[in-house]
Amino acid sequence: MSKIHIKVIQPTQIRIDKECDHLIIPGVAGDFGISFDHTPFITKIRIGVLQLFQNEYCEEYAIHDGFVTVENNVVTIVCDTIEKKNEIDIARANASRKRAEKRLKSSEENINFRRAESSLKKALVRLGLNSE
Amino acid sequence: MANLREIKTRIESVKSTKQITNAMKMVAASKLRKAQDNIINARPYSDHINQMLQTLKNKNISSDHPLLAEATGKGKTAYVVVTSDRGLCGSFNTHIIKEAIAHHKENPDADLVCIGKKGYDYFKKHSTKVTENYINLFNEMDFSVSGDVAEKILSLFLDENYDKINVIYNEFKSAIRHDIVVKQLLPIVPIESEKNSKLDYVYEPDEDTIIFELGIKYIHVDIWRIMLESSAAEQGARMTAMDSATENAAELIDRLTLNYNRARQAAITTEIIEISSGAEAIQQ
Repeated sequence: MSKIHIKVIQPTQIRIDKECDHLIIPGVAGDFGISFDHTPFITKIRIGVLQLFQNEYCEEYAIHDGFVTVENNVVTIVCDTIEKKNEIDIARANASRKRAEKRLKSSEENINFRRAESSLKKALVRLGLNSE
Repeated sequence: MANLREIKTRIESVKSTKQITNAMKMVAASKLRKAQDNIINARPYSDHINQMLQTLKNKNISSDHPLLAEATGKGKTAYVVVTSDRGLCGSFNTHIIKEAIAHHKENPDADLVCIGKKGYDYFKKHSTKVTENYINLFNEMDFSVSGDVAEKILSLFLDENYDKINVIYNEFKSAIRHDIVVKQLLPIVPIESEKNSKLDYVYEPDEDTIIFELGIKYIHVDIWRIMLESSAAEQGARMTAMDSATENAAELIDRLTLNYNRARQAAITTEIIEISSGAEAIQQ
């Protein structure tokens, strides 16, 4: 029984609470896989795709901003937003991509580049997940 | 004695007031249930963030990190005062404002940050300077809304050399009880958790980056929790206030009805006396 327990906690709910074989998490320093008996590990998540593998079947989620704790084969992710592939609002993601691109291209000084960049990244991850 | 029609209009008006307060009580009760659910749902998240921070803090005790270092006693202090946006909730806001004034008197240089319209209105009226204010947030409570507030408070603390930021708010205990809490928000004092992990974690990229990011998240969560607590307490206070208002209205209606009947009886008696004495006069 070499299963990993994965728990995803959002501010308003516990989103995922189940077992899986292994998973791939987008960390700040690059994607990393967690298999059975991983060493205790804490890192921050970057905007990207979380993959859960269970019996050769893979579930994908768009995820941003959060922290991961790995201990005793329990993976706990706390994050603000996580969306399954079919929950993503493609029209909204497209609109937000266009808005962010426009903002990044504009030469005005009083824009928040970090914010625009992160919203562009989020939109791209959402759209990327749906184009496959 | 007041005339019949006057009492009758009065009864009608009290009746409609009673209907309104009763409806408000029902609305507050349903909002309270929602707010309580929100608090419970937010708990796992804040517990986990707190636990992570605790583990990190225990690990490098010597850390003089800006978010966690102890207050030096020098520099500015700020009070975040959390009130409601709307009235008709009993002593909910007055107690908070009283507490805030007491603290402000003790420490006249302290700056004020108001969350909620009632507190802001009060200080504006009494020409006390309010550094930042957030009004009408409670209508659409959302994690991103409290995130904006948290970001602003963090930037005050980090960029404008505040030594200490305290928060004054109502903590929800039960539908009929809420307590005023004065708490230090920044620098962060993590709550001791019983589930203290002794594991030696690998950190990526490194402890300092994680502790900083986690500290920021902790403030976000804390503000979110405080706003949830305050809004639940507000609904509870409103429910109790409206319940007693409804009761008072019912009592008033009873009394007015009694007066009305007495006046009616008196009028009838007078009329009968008039008729009978008139009849007697004719007979004679």
